[in-house]
Amino acid sequence: MVFERNLTVNKDLLSRYNYDSFINENFQPWMNFEKSPVVGEPAPDFPLWDLDKQACSLSEIWSAHLFTVVEFGSFT
Amino acid sequence: MNQLAEEYADKKISSVFIYTHEAHPGEHYPHLTSMAQKYQHAQDLKNVLGVTRPILLDSLDGACHRSYGSMPNMTWIFNRSGVVQYKGNWTDVDSVERALVHLLEINQRRRNREILAPFKVEKLEYRKSDREGFNKGLERSGPKAVEEFKKAF
Repeated sequence: MVFERNLTVNKDLLSRYNYDSFINENFQPWMNFEKSPVVGEPAPDFPLWDLDKQACSLSEIWSAHLFTVVEFGSFT
Repeated sequence: MNQLAEEYADKKISSVFIYTHEAHPGEHYPHLTSMAQKYQHAQDLKNVLGVTRPILLDSLDGACHRSYGSMPNMTWIFNRSGVVQYKGNWTDVDSVERALVHLLEINQRRRNREILAPFKVEKLEYRKSDREGFNKGLERSGPKAVEEFKKAF
């Protein structure tokens, strides 16, 4: 299943991105909003998975409606 | 944001939530080590915190989140072609609604065959700070999250 194959990725990147403590040297390097895609330009597409573990993509989501609001976040 | 999504759903606007990583890992919600765990945390976002919008999981290494700047709670708006219409490094429902009202107005003017040329604006937005609600979120994650946030700021 694609959902499970996603586990086989760079372990160093996994541990740095999924940091275990909220300390400056862990979270600050990831905050790169100023380098993110610019307004008025096409955005990059990525695979995503729904809560039923079915694969989809960001472009599938935005292409289905006039506008799509995407909030990024987590439980914490 | 859930209420906003419901209010604008009949105006051809969809809203989704992309689950990223734990910004404030704690004893109850530790850092992510598997997609199965990420799936469980995302389920809790729906069942415990009541997010009613479709929740989609980013990959475990946060490929999508990282590409979009990795801010802990940001909001973007895309048009049907995937062109960025709005990006906010923090989520504020009033700011997002103002953007939607503007975008719908522009869409209507174009439907009325008005010729419009885009240009860009940069400005600061301001939101009401909800420290009490934020602290409750840290407490849900666990005492470790509370202490680490105190030390960080």
